[in-house]
This record gives sequence, structure tokens and C-alpha cells, in this order.
Amino acid sequence: MIRLPYSTTLRSLAIGRPQVSAIRAFSASTAALKPLATTDKQLVTKSSLPTDYPLPSERKPQNVIDYAMTTLDAIANWARQGSFWPMTFGLACCAVEMMHLSGPRYDQDRVGIIFRASPRQSDIMIVAGTLTNKMAPALRQVYDQMPEPRWVISMGSCANGGGYYHYSYSVVRGCDRIVPVDVYVPGCPPTSEALMYGVLQLQKKMRLQKITRLWYRSR
Amino acid sequence: MSTSLVRVIRNAYRVGFKDYLAQMMAIGDTKYGTLVGIDRFGNKFFENKEEDEIHLRTRWVQYKEKYYDVSQIEPGWHGWLGYLVDTPPNALDAAHTTVRKQPEVSRVHNGTGTRDAYVPYSTVKPKFESWTPQIKERV
Repeated sequence: MIRLPYSTTLRSLAIGRPQVSAIRAFSASTAALKPLATTDKQLVTKSSLPTDYPLPSERKPQNVIDYAMTTLDAIANWARQGSFWPMTFGLACCAVEMMHLSGPRYDQDRVGIIFRASPRQSDIMIVAGTLTNKMAPALRQVYDQMPEPRWVISMGSCANGGGYYHYSYSVVRGCDRIVPVDVYVPGCPPTSEALMYGVLQLQKKMRLQKITRLWYRSR
Repeated sequence: MSTSLVRVIRNAYRVGFKDYLAQMMAIGDTKYGTLVGIDRFGNKFFENKEEDEIHLRTRWVQYKEKYYDVSQIEPGWHGWLGYLVDTPPNALDAAHTTVRKQPEVSRVHNGTGTRDAYVPYSTVKPKFESWTPQIKERV
């Protein structure tokens, strides 16, 4: 239904992927010093599985049923983006920035974000601040009380990976050890704009979601 | 006085019905201004300094993409849009224009949720080990 434009040059520049050309260049430069025991092809792990299989968000509708299903998906996703009700889990100074988002300057109400005090009425949990070992069972319990579909935004360095307290004896090294996280907002603390941008990224994720693929798949 | 009905009707009459709908879908307001420039991605930048716009709402962008993102804006225009500079990048002379040594990337966008998403991984040995509890048999 929706495909974001991206260039193949940017894909090859993306961090975290093995570069075949770089490995070949490295082996060519060291070949004069020491003969390599393996050939170039053996340096790269070969896979028989297809690697260009499209993501569900990249797949385009094929027939009439596909078009109808993607329309239903679009309606459901539109509703989910428009009623973005977060469960606040303010734990530290990040919570202050989260409060600023609800204040008049950034005014989250204009995009339909309303903080709920009850996990049973909320769709999203914003983990804002340091998650300690003592708080971790409470976080998991609150997450389990949220109805499906539910999303989690991890806000700030401490929630992302422990941050400043990474080597502390009493801090969870990232809230993704307790709950599955959809969006990580970096910063210490992130600004309210950064949290708002994280919210927009989560809305993008909601928009790309294909709910009906659970029941129907054309191929 | 920024949200008066007279202003909305007047600006809607000025920009036309098509732009009025586009603005209401994007920024939820009807604004009229001069086109300052278009960046190389096709986003249009507007400014209205003379009339009844609120402080810090005098510059705005009309995105090219339907699903817009602030990372689709060229960096120089982003600075102008956030009131970092007053001179738009297309009005700078050659002496003040930054020339990038690396080849320009054709498109910069946030890769979150796509195949370009940043996936970190660690290549160093972890500094601590997980604790595996040894439970003794109770007698």
C-alpha cells in the first residue's frame, strides 16, 4: 500500500551490514603481504534463502481483495493514529519532558494524544526514565494489563539501555529486557520535540501495519 | 490575532481551494505568504512577516511527500525554518555557501520502520556476566 522512497546508495551505506566490496578490497590489499587461504567467495556467508523478500509494508496490493483489505487496514490504522492514548510511566527527569509535551507549548492534545492514568484504557506506554530492578515487576504488570494492540516507547538513555546507571547494581539495563519496545527515543533527557518525533515515528509504524495479513494473504 | 474567522476566509480565498485543503490536512491552519524557495527535494518554504501571524509561526513548509517527515528537509532550509538563520539558503552568496566534500546523498530520510532502520550491535566482549544461580538441594 505504502512504500517509502529510499535509494539503493543509502541502503548500501547503512551501518551494520557487511560490505562485500569492502571485504574484497581488504583481501586485495593484504594479498601482497600474505596469501589468503580462502577465496573471496568463501569470506561471505552464502544463503539459499531469498534476501530481497519484501516486508509486509512494502508489498503492493495484487488483486481486488488485496485492495479492499488494504483499505480496511488504512481505516483501522487511521483510527489508531488518531487516538494515541499513552500510559505514562514517568520514572525520572524524562517524565518532566514528557509533561512538557502535554503542556500548552507542544500541546499533544492537538494530535489526539491524551494521557491515561489506567493501563486498561491506554494503547501506548511511554517508559520515561530509569527503570530500577525494584520497579521492573510493576512495569511488566502494567504492560500486561494494557489491552491489545499495545505499543511501547522507550524514552531516554536510561530506559533505552541503562544509560548513566548501566553499571549500577540496581538498574535494569534497558527496559527492552522487560517489555518489547517499538520506538527508542535517544537523549538524556530527550527534548519534548524529540519525544514528539518518536510519537510520529510510532504513528508511521502504525500506518505501515497490515492487520488483515493475519487472515488473508494473496501469495 | 491569528485564528480569526476573517483571516481564515481571507487566506483561503488567497491560496485557493486546493492549497487550502492541503494546508488543513498538513498543518491544520490556513496561511498565506510569499514563496521563499524550494529545496532540492521539492519542499516549498513560505514566509509571511508583514501580516497577523503569531511570533515564531511566520515561516512554514509545504512538503512534497504525502507522508511527510522533518528529515525530508534539506539541512540549510531546516535551519531557516527553525529561525536559526534569517537568510534562506537560496539567498546566500557563494562565499557563505557550504560545499560538501563527500558526494551528496540523493535522499535523506529517517529509516525507522523500513529496511534502512539502524540496528546496533556490539563487537566487544561484555564487561559483566549474567548471574546463573546455583540452587543447592535442601536437606
